[in-house]
Amino acid sequence: MAMLSANDLTLGYQRQAILRHLSLELPESKISVLVGSNGCGKSTLLKALARLLTPWQGGVALDGKNIHRQPTRIVARTLSLLPQHPVAPEGITVRQLVSLGRHPHQSWRAQWSEEDERQVERALSRTDLLGDAHRSVDTLSGGQRQRAWIAMAVAQDTPLMLLDEPTSFLDLAHQMEVLELLASLNQVSGKTIVMVLHDLNLACRYADHIVALRDGRIHAQGTPHEVITRQRVKEIFQLDCQVIDDPYFHTPLCIPFARREGT
Amino acid sequence: MAEIQALRLGRFSRAIVWRPWWRVVMAWGVVGVALAGCLSLGKIALTPPELLAALSAPLSDTGLIVWQLRLPRTLLAALVGGALALSGWLLQQVMRNPLASPDTLGVTSGASAAAVAYFSLLAADLGHAWLPLAAAGGALMAVGIVYWLAWQQGVTPLRLVLMGIGLSALLTAATTFLLVSSPFSTTLSAYVWLTGSVYGGNWSEVARLSIGLALALVAMAPLVRYALLAAVDDALAVGIGVRVQRMRGALTLLAAVIAGLAVAWGGAIAFVGLIAPHLARRLVPVPGAAQIVMAIAAGAIVVMLADLVGRTLFLPLDLPAGIFVAAIGAPFFLMLLIRQVR
Repeated sequence: MAMLSANDLTLGYQRQAILRHLSLELPESKISVLVGSNGCGKSTLLKALARLLTPWQGGVALDGKNIHRQPTRIVARTLSLLPQHPVAPEGITVRQLVSLGRHPHQSWRAQWSEEDERQVERALSRTDLLGDAHRSVDTLSGGQRQRAWIAMAVAQDTPLMLLDEPTSFLDLAHQMEVLELLASLNQVSGKTIVMVLHDLNLACRYADHIVALRDGRIHAQGTPHEVITRQRVKEIFQLDCQVIDDPYFHTPLCIPFARREGT
Repeated sequence: MAEIQALRLGRFSRAIVWRPWWRVVMAWGVVGVALAGCLSLGKIALTPPELLAALSAPLSDTGLIVWQLRLPRTLLAALVGGALALSGWLLQQVMRNPLASPDTLGVTSGASAAAVAYFSLLAADLGHAWLPLAAAGGALMAVGIVYWLAWQQGVTPLRLVLMGIGLSALLTAATTFLLVSSPFSTTLSAYVWLTGSVYGGNWSEVARLSIGLALALVAMAPLVRYALLAAVDDALAVGIGVRVQRMRGALTLLAAVIAGLAVAWGGAIAFVGLIAPHLARRLVPVPGAAQIVMAIAAGAIVVMLADLVGRTLFLPLDLPAGIFVAAIGAPFFLMLLIRQVR
């Protein structure tokens, strides 16, 4: 069980509201992708879902219970989070970093149980990092580092994973690598994945469910075919485009035009 | 699985990285050598056999020098150095800033202001007995004010650092004002204290500082794993179920208490708190228990040697250790940084 939902959520920074009366239910064991233009509130929504921000009004429920009323450690056994620009402690090795993900399962007495060890090794092998586990995180390439962060979330062993732009700053090959990894976590382990992505075409290929935001509200949600249409893309991004069928994956493929000269 | 070994006893379990520990053991060997050096050298230099003879005969002339003068003074230097190093290490983790030290939070300036106020206002009536209490109280009060000023629905490391620097400047001004407006004799003793000195360290001081530090270390036991997590950014820490503000508050308080105790008996030698953790990180790059113990050893060695130099190199003068912590520490620190960049 890992049902995440927002109900009448209103929140923002300082006095400016970013999300207004937003309600949302995220399908279980599916990949949901939040899309929208810069500043539409998709990262804020993800942070709110991950209990990083306190709502002004409404709330976020995990399995029907208010996420802010539950001990954060208990929540962390169900829900893991990879923020946008995570910072690793200086000098930490990959294996140490991944084992930090075991924190919600540990106590003062048990800080390295057999289960901890098993989960960390499994996460390292899932992300193909066993050979680099002894290396310092500072020395990894961008793609490896992103896999190490995902491995940390995998070691946390939660049915629900939230990721804020897991592919930013990666080249296309490494973007694919990360998304394939997440897709396999979803298919093999049945994890519910909620992430923010900027690339619409990759979002269409990997998402089961797309949530499009505009001005702090949900503009449209559904399968990629339902959400990514010429009309909707224009409304969401103020961008003219042509949406065609991807000849290979048969998901919507968006071909953008310049904002002004568009047909 | 080479680098992490599991230590398990029933439900008790720990992950241990053995590799860096041999360096830590060697560092403590150096602490031992430094201790022997500090006990042998001085106005009356002792050869190793003479030192052994003195140690085994506490009531002989040399025995009295070693047991009543050199040993307590050296132990005090080691405790002060180790405690400041530990505090500095903790604060660099919590602040996620390699430049953080007990100075940054206002520990030193708070203790200094309180100590100088004590010298100029109370010392005439009360003597010097309550000085450590005043200094420790000043240190904790300064940290409390910094924390309170930085609080805005929780504190962020950056706000803490900035408020700490701001309050330090204010307290330094107050200290200077008290210094220049006091009689010369007060100013002189206050100035020696400000430089940091373990001159005249005796067994009762060693005992009180050790008890204080031992209590702080007991409090630290459940916090050690959070000391590692403190260096992770807030969003990630919440994600793995850490109550970030509570952790930050507890670790800051612990670091402030440890540094406050050290400063109370050693004066303002806080530069150790900046350099010792860096030394430790060079020798043990992987953060963890080994790095902490290494930092403590490094801090102890630096202050012991600084005090040794201060009381032997310029005989018959007995100069405060604080001068040489900076004089030896700063060039060394710069060298570390230069080599790190290249």
